[in-house]
This record gives sequence, structure tokens and C-alpha cells, in this order.
Amino acid sequence: MPHKCTKCGREYRDGSTEILKGCESCGGKKFLYVKDSELHKDILEEKSIEEIAQETKEQVLEVRTVQKKEVEMYDRVETIRIVGPGSYELNIEKMAKGDERVISVGKEGVYNIDLLSFAKDSKKKRSKRK
Amino acid sequence: MRVFYQTFGRVKKKFSSLLSRFFKKKRTRIGIYGPPNAGKTTLANRIARDWTGDAVGPVSEIPHETRRSRKKEDILISGANGATVTIDIVDTPGVTTRIDYHEFLEFGLDKDEAIIRAREATEGVAEAMHWLREDIDGVIYMLDSTLDPFLQVNIMMVGIIESRNLPVLIVANKIDLPNAAPARIRSAFPQHPVIPISSLGGKNVEELYEMMIERFG
Repeated sequence: MPHKCTKCGREYRDGSTEILKGCESCGGKKFLYVKDSELHKDILEEKSIEEIAQETKEQVLEVRTVQKKEVEMYDRVETIRIVGPGSYELNIEKMAKGDERVISVGKEGVYNIDLLSFAKDSKKKRSKRK
Repeated sequence: MRVFYQTFGRVKKKFSSLLSRFFKKKRTRIGIYGPPNAGKTTLANRIARDWTGDAVGPVSEIPHETRRSRKKEDILISGANGATVTIDIVDTPGVTTRIDYHEFLEFGLDKDEAIIRAREATEGVAEAMHWLREDIDGVIYMLDSTLDPFLQVNIMMVGIIESRNLPVLIVANKIDLPNAAPARIRSAFPQHPVIPISSLGGKNVEELYEMMIERFG
């Protein structure tokens, strides 16, 4: 008994490990377990795979992959990220807000915080200049 | 006698500080911002040469040539109708969100040099943003009109400048190049005046000066 991708209808044979990575054609993550006799029902009877799922009362199988959430630049805590020696990612929105420097190094979750830059009084600086 | 000089000196100092308080604000500090290699220093040099005869800094094809902000003070620009504006020009390092030394290797720099350049450029961006926060009264935002203006950096920077309520002039540079498309920049930032120029060849800079008097005067 094969699996069918609910998005594009591509079939995978039973016990196939390929579906664990998602559908090869469309990247879909949901698969329906279909009986051999009903394998071509979606095309012959022009039914959507959801309809077949309702008819056969078979659970749609969802392949869950842990998605790595991409953190938006402006949500990040660091002003400068050192990717490697001589390679930097700068958070200019953070820089526009203040002089505080938080620098993250290499792997995720390692930060250097320039405490002195946090301690500076910007108002004092402004009055000094006048 | 000494007491006299001391008092005289003090009075003089007070008087001059009083004068400068009245007249200082008239000088507008204009920052030239933009992505690396847009031609910021070339324009700063042109403005300085046209009106004072000096230069601001060296230029090169390698991105991040300017890694420290440079200032040229007291530039008096006069327009065709007699209007003038006195400005300080601040040429800033190119603002970008990613600096990688590999980029410089293609220009023939050796690895150590490139890594130092990347570090200095990173400091430069921080310094440029510091100027923007603290000490800039108006911005010339410079873009290379041969490149796509819809980059995140540009949108973000213009947003930051807008949020600080600074007057901004967008300059579409390098219009002398065959693949320049200043109209694309105009459509990207319809809310601001866009002036197409060639800061290297000096094409259309007169219009820029007129616009600077209008916007920053």
C-alpha cells in the first residue's frame, strides 16, 4: 500500500524512507496512505487527495522536520556578528539606535559585550560638544 | 597689566562663544552615506575641489577604501540665483550588512591585508552610524545607478534617515556608465528628490548644488 503526496499526488511505495525528507517533486510534507485499489482514484474520479482522505477515513501523515528558524536581522541581539576572521555581519538598525556594542563570535550563542559602550552617557557627550 | 590681559582674554572668549552660538547653527553638517563603492568619496572630493580647492580622501576600485569618516568644514556653495549655503561635508565609510575579506582578495590584496581591511571597514560602519545618530543635519544618500537599488541595506538606511527626520537627497551616481538606470532609483524612492549625476565626470553636479541649497539651506 503506497503513500501519496497530498500536494502533487506523487506516489511512494510503502515503507519508503524518501518521504521522510518531504516530497521529491514538490517538497510537500503531507502524505496519505492509500489502498492499492484506490491508488488511481484521484485521477480517474477527479477527486482531490483531501476528498479521498475523507472517504477512506485514513489519517494524513505529516512528516515533521525541525525547522531552523531564521532570526530576522533586527531581532538579533548583537550589533556585530563575527562569522570568521575577516568576515562580519553588521546590524545597522541596532547601530542606528545606540552606541552599545554586542559582538557575537563564531557559533551561535557566544557573545562579547562591550560594557564600557553601555556605560557611556550620550547626553553628556552631546553637551560636551557645544 | 597681566590682570587686564586676563580679563580681556576672558571677555573675548565669552564674546566669541556668544557669537558662535548665534552663527554656528547656520552651518549644516551633511553626511554622504551609501553602500560601498557608490562613489561617496569621489563626490566629496568633487564638492571640496569645486568650492575650496582641497580634496577629502583617496578613492579606489576596491570596496571600503574609506574606513574612517572624513570631514571637510566650511564649504560655501552658491547657486545661480545668488543663494548660498555653508556646509560641513562628512564622507562616511560605505554602510553594508556584510563584510567578508574574500571579496577583497579578488582585487589582489593578500589575505592579511584583506582581513585587516574587513575589520577596519566594520569599525567604519559603526562610526558612520555614530555620526548619523549624533552629529548630522542632512544626508546625501548615494547609490550606484548601475546596481539594483532595492537592496535591504538601502531601504533600511533610508528608513533610518527618515525616522530621524533628516532632510535627504538621493544621488544616483555613475550615470556616465552605459548600463546606468537612474529611473530605477527614482521609482525605488519616490518620496525623496533623486538627482542623477556622474561625480567622476562632473555631469549634472550643478543641479545637485542647486538642490543642496534648496534642501539644506
